[in-house]
Amino acid sequence: MKRRDYIIFALLLGIAIAYPWLHPPRYLIASALLMFCYATVVSQWNLVFGMAGIFSLAQVAIFALGAYITAMLGRYLDWSLWYTFPLAGLGGVFFSLLIGVACLRLRGIYVALLTLAVSQVMFVLIQTDSMCSSLNKVLNPATCVSLTGGAQGLGSFGSFGWRSVLGGRDWIIGDYYTMLALLVVGLVVAFVISHSRIGLAFKALRDNEELARSRGISQFKYQLLVFALSAFLTAVAGGFYAAHFGAVGTDMISFPLLLFIISMLVVGGIGRLWGPLLGAFLLMAADEVFKEVSDWRNVGLGVVVLLFMVFLPEGLAGAIEKGWQRIERLFGRRETLGQAARSDDKASSESGD
Amino acid sequence: MNYFIQIIVSGLTFGAMYALAAVGLALVWGAFNMLNMSHGIIMTLGAYFALLWAEYMGMPLVLAAPFALVCGAVVGVIAYFISAHWMLKQKNFEVTIIIATFGLGMALEAGLLKFLRELFRTAPYSQPLSLGAKSFMVADVPVSYQRLVVWAGAIVLIVLVGLFLSRTTAGRAVRAVAQNRDAARLVGVPVRRIYVMVLALGSGLAAVSGIMLSSFKDVHPLMGGDPMLKAFIVIVLAGLGNITGALYAALLVGMVEAAVKVLIADKYGFAAILILVILALIWKPAGIFGRSTVARQ
Repeated sequence: MKRRDYIIFALLLGIAIAYPWLHPPRYLIASALLMFCYATVVSQWNLVFGMAGIFSLAQVAIFALGAYITAMLGRYLDWSLWYTFPLAGLGGVFFSLLIGVACLRLRGIYVALLTLAVSQVMFVLIQTDSMCSSLNKVLNPATCVSLTGGAQGLGSFGSFGWRSVLGGRDWIIGDYYTMLALLVVGLVVAFVISHSRIGLAFKALRDNEELARSRGISQFKYQLLVFALSAFLTAVAGGFYAAHFGAVGTDMISFPLLLFIISMLVVGGIGRLWGPLLGAFLLMAADEVFKEVSDWRNVGLGVVVLLFMVFLPEGLAGAIEKGWQRIERLFGRRETLGQAARSDDKASSESGD
Repeated sequence: MNYFIQIIVSGLTFGAMYALAAVGLALVWGAFNMLNMSHGIIMTLGAYFALLWAEYMGMPLVLAAPFALVCGAVVGVIAYFISAHWMLKQKNFEVTIIIATFGLGMALEAGLLKFLRELFRTAPYSQPLSLGAKSFMVADVPVSYQRLVVWAGAIVLIVLVGLFLSRTTAGRAVRAVAQNRDAARLVGVPVRRIYVMVLALGSGLAAVSGIMLSSFKDVHPLMGGDPMLKAFIVIVLAGLGNITGALYAALLVGMVEAAVKVLIADKYGFAAILILVILALIWKPAGIFGRSTVARQ
């Protein structure tokens, strides 16, 4: 992270804070805060996939788990949702650690398959949950819905509580700043981790596992660490999502949402600092555009993902970085020459089949 | 005893359909480490191709399955040239191709829905190749003739694939590529052409498997997603790229699913085999028919 990145960060934060004061239409505030929520999830996913190089598809399941924990605690125990968020985060960490242990002996593609299977189990079990369990009969004698809400989803469990503070019209601005705070925390955490010694260990394991292990970096320890670290805020983001919408459902674990979130990562740039933010912004903007022609939404998203993987696997952030380096090289600034040569080396070593 | 026969009958049927889908996936993975996430939509398209041929073009019913097979193969070739062909040199090909074909499958599925919504209807069609519910009795358990056709079709196709792989030059080339890509290239095997061929073959098999699936349920735009996941489970259980293992694993998955559906409840069938594969991945990462290794690369 150079000075340039700090300036961009401050600028974007300023814009985001000022935005509601410009009195934009309500639906734009709603999409912006949804974007913050997704960007948080993507920034944590970027730690697992981009930095540690583990292709886990369980992040969406962890997100949904956080939402369900919040919803169920709020509904059945009448907790204020603010108390449920840390528990949702811890639940996510626990779940993610289990997955991390299960994935320890697996690499690459197998991690993707295992984590996909885990999230599918969760989807199927919730989707087909139609039992009135005995516990639920005690908690909910009048309307016996299933514990998780099944295919209908779960509602009426409370919200952030801004409605009583800011009134029936401005509560969404409270939600907006809450999500923004979450995103800032998410970005700072991702940045701090990736620049710490832990982050270096993750990158070493990603780039050359044997060498890293022979230098004494424990794969066991760091793999579990990255699963745990990335899960906390993902699950909290799920809780915030539930608190904002006041409802959770199985569409949070479904394929379309997985595709949507993975597209943010891919379009933004896997493993890039600004990738998650850029990707979340572009995909939400594209979503707004495709909404006019809602039938084409998934066709458009699918094609975008395909094209990016084929032509720009490093995403927009990667492409911009490369373009920037080329411009700097054109003007022959000395300190960037070495950098440019290094990236050339990297490019030529990658092109071998 | 009745339960037992019921489990065997429906387990064999599930197994036969999963085997066809899984063999295609295993072939493609074996040849060039591509995990094709658009396999499911190709199954769906196969069922629609058969429908198109029989209902809308009024062609003889017997040829509907071969027509679907050819169309499926063409879709496979197109899929190769719009995704994998350009990506083979990428550093993380195994991972990026999953995301790319995921996107492709999503686009195709949404496109099919859109197309059907405008021109036809999205409601399920009944598969013209289905023989309906006519059946005979085996110890008080009805066995429909449709099941016999599915078993026979699956056996014939798998034997044909086996003969192709073991007896023909092209088949041997496929196996050579799967064993060692560089060595195959050195002795003059046109590796990229093999990739195209394998993807065409796998997609053709997927299309036929789609017809079989729709002969029990109905033709529906979203019918392919579930069986594709099951085919993934099968090849993971068998150890990726292990084709004979995939046949056994398909039968195993079919039997387990049938047993859970008959003995416990319909809705737990899928969850049961997902848990089966999670356990298998944890305890036997190289697949139940694979050699044991410490980690799978």
